Amino acid sequence: MAILKGNKLVLGIVVAVIVLGLVLGGITLTRPPAEPEDIAAKPVAEDPAEEPAEEEEAAAAAVTLHFVGWEASPLETESIRKGLDAFMTQNPNITVEYTPVPHAEYETKLITSMAGGAGADVFFVGAELYRSLQLKGQLLDITEYFEAEFELDYFIPSAVSIMLINDRIYGVSSSTVSPILFYNRDIFDKAGLPYPPKNPDEAWTWDEFVEIAKQLTIVEAGETTQFGVFGLENPAWPYMKIAMFLSNEGNVFNEDFTRTTLNTPEVKEVLQSVFDLREKYGVSPEALLLEQLGMSPSHMLQTGRVAMLIDGSWALQQLAQMDFPVGIGVLPKFDSAVTHGQAHLHSAWIDTPNPYEAWKLISFLSSEEYQLDLIHSGLWMPNRTALYTEEGIARWFNPDVHPEGFMDVVPFIRDAIAYPPAFNVRPAAMDIIAEELGAFFDGGKPLNETLADIEIRVNEELAREQ
Amino acid sequence: MKQIKLKRILYSDTTWAFVLLLPNFLGFLIFLIIPMIISFGMSFVSWDLFGPVRWVGFDNYIELFLEDQVFRRVFWNTMYFTAVTVPIGIVLSLFLALAMDQKIIGIKFFRIAYFMPVISSMIAVAIVWQWIYNPEFGLLNYFLGLIGIEGPSWLSDVFWAMPAIIVVSIWQGLGFNMLLFLAGLQGISEVYYEAAEVDGAGWFEKFWNITIPLLAPTTFFVMVMAAIGAFQAFDAVYLMTAGGPARATSVLAHYLYQNAFQYFRMGYASALAYVLFFIVLIFTLIQLRRQRSWLL
Repeated sequence: MAILKGNKLVLGIVVAVIVLGLVLGGITLTRPPAEPEDIAAKPVAEDPAEEPAEEEEAAAAAVTLHFVGWEASPLETESIRKGLDAFMTQNPNITVEYTPVPHAEYETKLITSMAGGAGADVFFVGAELYRSLQLKGQLLDITEYFEAEFELDYFIPSAVSIMLINDRIYGVSSSTVSPILFYNRDIFDKAGLPYPPKNPDEAWTWDEFVEIAKQLTIVEAGETTQFGVFGLENPAWPYMKIAMFLSNEGNVFNEDFTRTTLNTPEVKEVLQSVFDLREKYGVSPEALLLEQLGMSPSHMLQTGRVAMLIDGSWALQQLAQMDFPVGIGVLPKFDSAVTHGQAHLHSAWIDTPNPYEAWKLISFLSSEEYQLDLIHSGLWMPNRTALYTEEGIARWFNPDVHPEGFMDVVPFIRDAIAYPPAFNVRPAAMDIIAEELGAFFDGGKPLNETLADIEIRVNEELAREQ
Repeated sequence: MKQIKLKRILYSDTTWAFVLLLPNFLGFLIFLIIPMIISFGMSFVSWDLFGPVRWVGFDNYIELFLEDQVFRRVFWNTMYFTAVTVPIGIVLSLFLALAMDQKIIGIKFFRIAYFMPVISSMIAVAIVWQWIYNPEFGLLNYFLGLIGIEGPSWLSDVFWAMPAIIVVSIWQGLGFNMLLFLAGLQGISEVYYEAAEVDGAGWFEKFWNITIPLLAPTTFFVMVMAAIGAFQAFDAVYLMTAGGPARATSVLAHYLYQNAFQYFRMGYASALAYVLFFIVLIFTLIQLRRQRSWLL
């Protein structure tokens, strides 16, 4: 018994020593990796014999920035890498380490890395995440830096209103993108129908739009081989439909984003009209069905499965590379011809050790030098007013990408209303909306009931104490 | 005297058993026990990872049980998933094990083949099954089409999405359960079967009166493990439907993940985790009681 006791005591000591050893060992172990990095960052610092002055300067300012973004398309990644190379050439003391993260996991990884004290110095922030990250105190206030280099007037109104939080700036808008109408010109030619209007003043009314969609729908032996239009329905993503709500004087939230305004006749009319495209007129395919085809919406337009496509303006990049005549027009209207605009912002982390260098990178990412490449390819639209003047447009207009008459559509995007969900700080609210709309579009839930439930549930979520 | 004592300790098996177990125990402590204790504490606070930690008492649990409609939905989804996956999975894997318990040439190949899904990456499995379920080009609807049935869009149909996920889960777990049953079957002595044959028992009588009772400990183990696994189902849902359409396939673990890593409600997610923990605990305790009555 005594031996057992002694045994236990010794064991206790052994355990304690090993635990302590591991803990302390762990602490010391975490330190060494910092060294090689330091050496790499200051390659010449160890040899002070040669050109001491220049080395000292380089060594003093050598900074490594960690930059995180997502990959919207391979072209975007390529442009980012090209841009970063140019940035590093211009700023030889700054090394940028770029890590692309899959879009689906982006927010989770970004936020958990910040909570773990390992946030990137500079990163993409989706417009819908921007305000909630600021609320969490994770974004560096860059107002002073910004004001020293830019003026708010340089940016289009939708970009400005998204950037500004209580008159301060925590991120610079990268560009803008908006829902827009694409069409396959061949299909219109074959049907002998006029192309969709490009000038917002001549936008089709909803009824005119439905009429054209009916004429473009082809049914052979009981099966629809060509649908008039696709793109509005996707319940998991109300993005496109929100443009139509705005067109009908409806909205997602009230002015101070404390309540939802989806349960209104304006929104109801839009949702019923979109639903009717499929159910009543048969001019639109089931959204989820086509989503699973392994086809992107662009492919559907290319292969003639659909004649018109309502999609984000970014689709132009992919469409332009497909071998068919792409047309572009303004969205149909209920009341007024409008679309909405937003895009990701570039922000710096509150705890970045190098705020000045981080700003330099953000400033570079906001420069024309960096943006024009992506605008030229059709992926982005400019967020600068200067790029919407005649001379400005000439700097990025690309006849290989931007379809005939694109110039006429440009003001429609410039004047876009800021995307309402960008001002909402409760991601769960948007998930509730998507869930309920899914029940309406695919689960047979009556519209009135859907909207009533949305109102109750979203308002509860918005009112919930954080 | 002291030296002898030290020697005794150094030569003692117990000492070495403890020392060798230590790394495992430490890992268990650091990565499981301590986080479990912390998350229990966290279920009584409101915390978004950054802001101040606010003590809210039982508010999270009250919201869960009384206010949160989504919780009710995912709770029933989880029950549905478990209630279908576990029994069907067990019956199928038992029959599979019986089939694989034959002394024929090439049996090892089949055993490996049925075990493959267990060790396959869920990402790959999800992609393959998404193609099988593809409403227009998928194999499943192709075969259904051959016999004149127009298959639904499996993963995006509010009614069919859950059964589709269940099929994948059963298929993936089949091999593991089969292996356990196989081990159980091979532990049953031939003597009983021979004796039964002498008494003129047929296949079914042998199966019912010898195999089933003697397999009871294995069946119990498989059932408990399968139920725990089913309650914690996450990856198939996350990868194939992300809980949709309209939350039709959202289960507790998925909702927990959403609250923790999409809405950053760490306290609420912890409360969910403990509700899930107690559901599994209660279920396992019931099983334990039943096992006693089974085996004695």
